[in-house]
Amino acid sequence: MQGTIIENLSGKKLSLLVILLIIAQIVCFLIGGLIAPTPASSQNILGTQCKDTSINGSDENKWFYSRGNGSCTSVDDTHFSSDTHQQPYQIVYTFQMPVPRNNLDLDYSRWQQNLIGVLQVDIRYNSEVEIARRTLITLDARLAYRSKDPQDVWKPYASSTVERILDCSIDMPREQYNYNCKAMPLFELGSLYHDYYLLNIRLPSNTGKNQGLGRIVDLWLTAINQNGGFTKVWVSLKTVYFPIVLGVLTWYWKRVYMLSRSPALLEYMLLTLGSALTFLNLPLEYLTLAYDMPFMLLLGDIRQGIFYATLLSFWLVFAGEHLMLSFIILAGISAGIYLLFLSYMIWKVFKNISAKRAVLPSMSSARRLHYEGVIYRFKFLMIATLLCASLTVVGFILGQVAEGQWKWDEDLELEMTSAFFTGVYGMWNIYIIALLCLYAPSHKQWPIEPSENSISEEIEFSPLPTDPNEMLSLTAFARKTAVE
Amino acid sequence: MRLWMLLAVLSVTAYVSLAEITKNKNRGRGSMWWGIAKADEPNNFLPVSPTSMLDSSVYGNLRRKQKKLIRDNPGVLQAISRGANQAVAECQYQFRNRRWNCSTKNFLRGKNLFGKIVDKGCRETAFIYAITSAAVTHSIARACSEGSIQSCSCDYTHQSRTSSAVRDWEWGGCSDNIGYGFTFSRDFVDTGERGRNLREKMNLHNNEAGRTGVVSVLLQHVSSEMRQECKCHGMSGSCTVKTCWMRLPSFRVVGDNLKDRFDGASRVMVSNSDRVRSNANLANSVHQHRDGLSRRQRYNLQLKPYNPEHKPPGPKDLVYLEQSPAFCEKNPKLGILGTHGRQCNETSLGVDGCDLMCCGRGYKTQEMVVIERCACIFHWCCEVKCQKCRTTKTVHTCL
Repeated sequence: MQGTIIENLSGKKLSLLVILLIIAQIVCFLIGGLIAPTPASSQNILGTQCKDTSINGSDENKWFYSRGNGSCTSVDDTHFSSDTHQQPYQIVYTFQMPVPRNNLDLDYSRWQQNLIGVLQVDIRYNSEVEIARRTLITLDARLAYRSKDPQDVWKPYASSTVERILDCSIDMPREQYNYNCKAMPLFELGSLYHDYYLLNIRLPSNTGKNQGLGRIVDLWLTAINQNGGFTKVWVSLKTVYFPIVLGVLTWYWKRVYMLSRSPALLEYMLLTLGSALTFLNLPLEYLTLAYDMPFMLLLGDIRQGIFYATLLSFWLVFAGEHLMLSFIILAGISAGIYLLFLSYMIWKVFKNISAKRAVLPSMSSARRLHYEGVIYRFKFLMIATLLCASLTVVGFILGQVAEGQWKWDEDLELEMTSAFFTGVYGMWNIYIIALLCLYAPSHKQWPIEPSENSISEEIEFSPLPTDPNEMLSLTAFARKTAVE
Repeated sequence: MRLWMLLAVLSVTAYVSLAEITKNKNRGRGSMWWGIAKADEPNNFLPVSPTSMLDSSVYGNLRRKQKKLIRDNPGVLQAISRGANQAVAECQYQFRNRRWNCSTKNFLRGKNLFGKIVDKGCRETAFIYAITSAAVTHSIARACSEGSIQSCSCDYTHQSRTSSAVRDWEWGGCSDNIGYGFTFSRDFVDTGERGRNLREKMNLHNNEAGRTGVVSVLLQHVSSEMRQECKCHGMSGSCTVKTCWMRLPSFRVVGDNLKDRFDGASRVMVSNSDRVRSNANLANSVHQHRDGLSRRQRYNLQLKPYNPEHKPPGPKDLVYLEQSPAFCEKNPKLGILGTHGRQCNETSLGVDGCDLMCCGRGYKTQEMVVIERCACIFHWCCEVKCQKCRTTKTVHTCL
């Protein structure tokens, strides 16, 4: 019977492979920790209040900005104190992204991939005008873009009148203190194709809108973008892994195809998993450097989602294959129980194998050594699976821990978030490469040991006639003893 | 480092005349920039030259390094001016109920904005230095966020790369603005103070305490999760990637914080080691004397508490050298207006109570009819509709 590579590989070769994979894993982690910056960074932009002098503020092509030629006349916030008769639409909050630094007019690079805008409202406490905890706010938001060319003008990108719930509280209600209002998500750009962006926000007051807002002093926009350095490191990882995984995957499938039997469920699952990973590895990000691809955020979600789904179902099948139980019903359980369940199953596999080991002493020495080796390697792979699963789940949990741009401990050289991302990403790739390699059908034939009781043993351990070559030999071994 | 040395050399060459040194010996020489508050409100069009909009008397009082900073960083002047005004308003609010009410004088060349009280190293002076320095930090950070100062630094803290700012920005984004506000305030506000005598050390310490006040308000709120905002933007909005940022507090919070520090300010004296040092300095060459303290020494001042049983002052604490005058009677020598004619609160037992405020001179009580705005309704954006209420108020005024 033909086994898989993991069963037939010598201990020396296996350890060499394992060491290589571990080194690759460490390299992945260090790339993230030492080279890559934090995954994302943000700029806090204070809105400049411009005065719209047009008659009703409905001119769609009029853009207000605070820097550059033709910048607007700004109004200071003293308009609250006096009874001036400005109309609400005359005040336009303008946000020009990005904000200049080091005397340079910074622009967005396409490497920065995406832009998320979060709006915050600073409302001053005034005992005469207290505001409700939750207030409806209506924003007339218009987004424009411009290229670096100094002759270029602002071109409209998107505009919308949106409603958001403003959630404000105040701990110490004192005059001149600000309410603590929660940030409101405003926009998400899936591709950062243009150089500059401009956001104009009006707070319309027609038909009784925006009346419960109190005294707004400032509007702040936090523009979050992925860091170019992180994208570069990430895409490099993808570029390296994509051909490797693709190569290993074709090699694996060739091996399976060469078998006389039709592929088993586990083999199909491995193929699907490899394909999902290849899809995830595909460095589509290069295209965003040349084309405007606003669907990238969605595509990224889909790719990641497919990968997660395949990986989790694979683990179920993988663990199930070695315990010979039906797990399809249990496949629907939630992700939290998932890890516990997986650990439990792996523990049972261990117990199962240990129980079956009791049979081993009655076998001939060569056969016993073979099975012991096989059991040992499976245990090793099981632990690797558990580790990979735990790290993936821990990744989710660690993600909840705040990772601010503000670092007071500036001596810390290691960028933990990025290290974790590249580490986990590398781990998936390495793990799946290892699986594809180790579970590929082996060409080696196990030599039949010439001995007097070899015939009876051969009968004992030959696969069941109803189950032609479908199982791994360990599975067969476990099932055989179970039948007895 | 080289830049810093260059600036130090510049400030040495910017030595003022001998007469001015003797005149300002008591208060140190870093306080004249406050006059920017009285400069005409700048308009929004960037002037061709930043000096044109400044009163020549105000500009003339700036130190050469401060002028250079203003020249080199367009937009900074408006921010400092806004900050100085904010500081004056905040000081007057915090001290509205005290004998000394942070009154400002008409600003003339060579005169100090807050009057001669700053010649004395008392608590009030400590507060003035701290609040002005804090206001510069705050308003520079604000102006950076607005984009009205182009030169705000883009500190790329992850690795000390020597590449250009554009590449830093593309690679790893820019740091928060409060850091720039902090360092700019150090450069601009502390210019005149070299920490050579105790008064200059007091000024340096209080300036630093003001700046630290802004940052500590920020951090204090971070720990209570009030001022820190986060956004999750991982896969499908999950929290695999989370970006957090700070929100600049309202300046009133900073003012309240510093007022608390004012109440708990510690009195300091020259420590022995300092005396030895300054004597040695006198004996040494003029150059060493002129250079004053190095940057590291400047902000690691070891001030000794006047009362040996007290703890030495921490970086956030305000320090003073001498007891405050009573502020009761008019004293032109110290620029004190006195409390004659000030309104007081008859029922209060605090400093705003009539007993303390009027220094036991007694007060007169008047019935006044006041027309006030009341029952205000606020209409977004720009209208506050109020009723006018006539109320009869009893007003107590110090004799």
